[in-house]
Amino acid sequence: MTSATPVLKHRLTPLERSERRLGLVMLAPAFILLAATVIYPVATLIWTSFRFQHLAQPWMGTPFVGLEQYWKGLTDPHFWSSTLNTALYILVTVPGAVIVGLGLALLANQPFRIKWPVRLGLLLPWALPLVFAGLIFRWFFEFKQGIVNNALIWFGLKPLNWLTDPTLAFIAICIAIIWKSSSFVALVLLAGLQTIPKSMYEAAEIDGANKWQQFVEITLPMLRPAIFVALIFRTITAIQTFDIPYAMTNGGPGNSTETLAMYIHKTTIDFLDFGYGSALAVLMFIVSVIATSGYLRYTRRDPSKAGR
Amino acid sequence: MRKGIVASVVGASLMALGLATTPAEAQNLRIFTGGQQRPDVMRKILDVFQERNPGMKVDIEVGGATSEQQQQYLNTVLASRDASLDVVLIDVIRPAQWAAANWAEPLDGFLGAEKDAVMAKYLPAYRAANIVNGKVIALPYFADAQFLYYRKDLLEKHKQQPPKTWAELQASAGAVMKGEGNANLQGFLTAGAPIEGTVCTYLVPVWGSGGDLTDSGGKLALGADAAKAPFKLYADMKTAGVLPANIAEIVTDRARQMFQAGGAVYNMNWAFNWNRFQNDADSQVKDKVGVIPLPGFTADRQSTCIGGWQLAITAFSKNKEAAYKLLRFLSSPEVSKMQAIAASHLPVFAEVYADADVLKANPWFKDALPVVQSARSRPVSARYTEVSEIVRTNMNAYLAGTKTAEQALGDMTTRLGAIYR
Repeated sequence: MTSATPVLKHRLTPLERSERRLGLVMLAPAFILLAATVIYPVATLIWTSFRFQHLAQPWMGTPFVGLEQYWKGLTDPHFWSSTLNTALYILVTVPGAVIVGLGLALLANQPFRIKWPVRLGLLLPWALPLVFAGLIFRWFFEFKQGIVNNALIWFGLKPLNWLTDPTLAFIAICIAIIWKSSSFVALVLLAGLQTIPKSMYEAAEIDGANKWQQFVEITLPMLRPAIFVALIFRTITAIQTFDIPYAMTNGGPGNSTETLAMYIHKTTIDFLDFGYGSALAVLMFIVSVIATSGYLRYTRRDPSKAGR
Repeated sequence: MRKGIVASVVGASLMALGLATTPAEAQNLRIFTGGQQRPDVMRKILDVFQERNPGMKVDIEVGGATSEQQQQYLNTVLASRDASLDVVLIDVIRPAQWAAANWAEPLDGFLGAEKDAVMAKYLPAYRAANIVNGKVIALPYFADAQFLYYRKDLLEKHKQQPPKTWAELQASAGAVMKGEGNANLQGFLTAGAPIEGTVCTYLVPVWGSGGDLTDSGGKLALGADAAKAPFKLYADMKTAGVLPANIAEIVTDRARQMFQAGGAVYNMNWAFNWNRFQNDADSQVKDKVGVIPLPGFTADRQSTCIGGWQLAITAFSKNKEAAYKLLRFLSSPEVSKMQAIAASHLPVFAEVYADADVLKANPWFKDALPVVQSARSRPVSARYTEVSEIVRTNMNAYLAGTKTAEQALGDMTTRLGAIYR
């Protein structure tokens, strides 16, 4: 650092100085906005996580308790069960959405004569608010009126307790999440697909490659950056899974479909335990940093060296 | 530019001064209510208030469909000390939490010397529910309790008597279902999803066997046999096919809809639903519904959960004087009567139950007063939302079949133990 200073320290001309000042002034609005909407809330969250702050017990005050609430979180079976549920949702819905999304993108990339109905079909689930999707799927899987059980009865099968059996509820929620999120993945991948030059496929065809070989040898490798972008975004949103299970089962039966985000919401907004809720939120942040750091390491690598 | 700012600041302060010196100018109040507490009826009542108090205008803000959803919204509004709401309609289980969090403006100062006289007029349960540590936190708007709704026509057709005990209920529901042979007809409906109503689904049979969540000393009493009674009761009903297979996903209002569509013999539900069954355009059960007190394990020990909605002034309101005036109007025998007729809301004053017009709209109110008077309260605690969550998720897990009675009771004991230390 010290050795670098003399190099940087050359006399600025008055023009350069005023340019620099102008630059700072022009950056200020963005910085202030960022500070107010990101830095301040995150700092408050971390600060609150070190204090006991339970709005339903104001007589306890807000004493500094250090890491006590983190320890409480790590020894709280409820924290671990909701973390495990979140991990299961990630493991199923992230690859699920990428596979379904890839299929949708390939379909939408076909040379249809009229393109807009396909594109609209792709966009609709993405444009729908999450909680609406949750409510729609809740009605699909409802025991008496739901169309899923109707279909089962139609085929002569027994209706299933989709939303009150832990395994079936998990499956139903995963289906809803994959349906909802695969269209976003498809949009990202479709953009990637359209950057692949047609000439590569033509060359492959001349060399005698069949469709499957073209897909494995050209489409997939060329699509890798887009797939990784989709994976990162999808994983980050999957860690925060809240709306769809909240609307479909409210975490039930018992707490068996409750995610970490739902447990934090419950602790903070229902129980008014802001201190413990903040500690849980920081723990979730740590979990998401660990989960995404693998991807981040990949993206930081030099793309030209990113071989197979 | 700068001149403009100065001018507007001066203008604004002059306006503020103007407002401060002429308080008789237009007063705007904002009241919050849930969608199930009949905002349409409240609007008509508020119109009467506005007519009698020229210059006052009251807007209604309608919030979430369930008690928890409303409170979740209010938690965020009040935790940020937002002044936009003046009066809030809160569930009977909330005053302790509101008092603890200092969200409600205590009414003692406004009531003054009248306090004891005013409070003495209410039904005792509501007087007790709204006074926390000697302070009046809210005033009752309407009373409620759970009753047993039954299909008069089906019971008569299959020669069954309205039940006084759970065993009779199970037997007669079974007989009607068998006689009808309709796969879409359920025997008994109550809330089973992980929502507030499921706390009553658990507690009613506990009280019915002489127990409670806590003993008289405020200690947990889940070791007693009474704490196991609900599990046995609902397991028996499930085995007998009287309880629907999807009981664990049914919320209170879903039970109401199913019963209203003619899909059930019995429904344990709140009093206000009578009006829906009788007057809703889509009701399939108009004039086919009877309503009686909930059964007990023995005919002489029936029990029910108390409900009802209270009016609180928020501590952050800037119009507390006007809000108090509104509160006294909304919590009056006159409004109790209006609500009873328009919405079958149970009155909070004993004398309104005997009113001829009220009885004309709700003939069964003549038998409702003793039920409300003997109804039990869910545990009073500043941390009630946590207590409720523990009870309802475990009851829900049991009804869904993911926990045995022992596991559910064990988990309840461990988690409640940390609260009732």
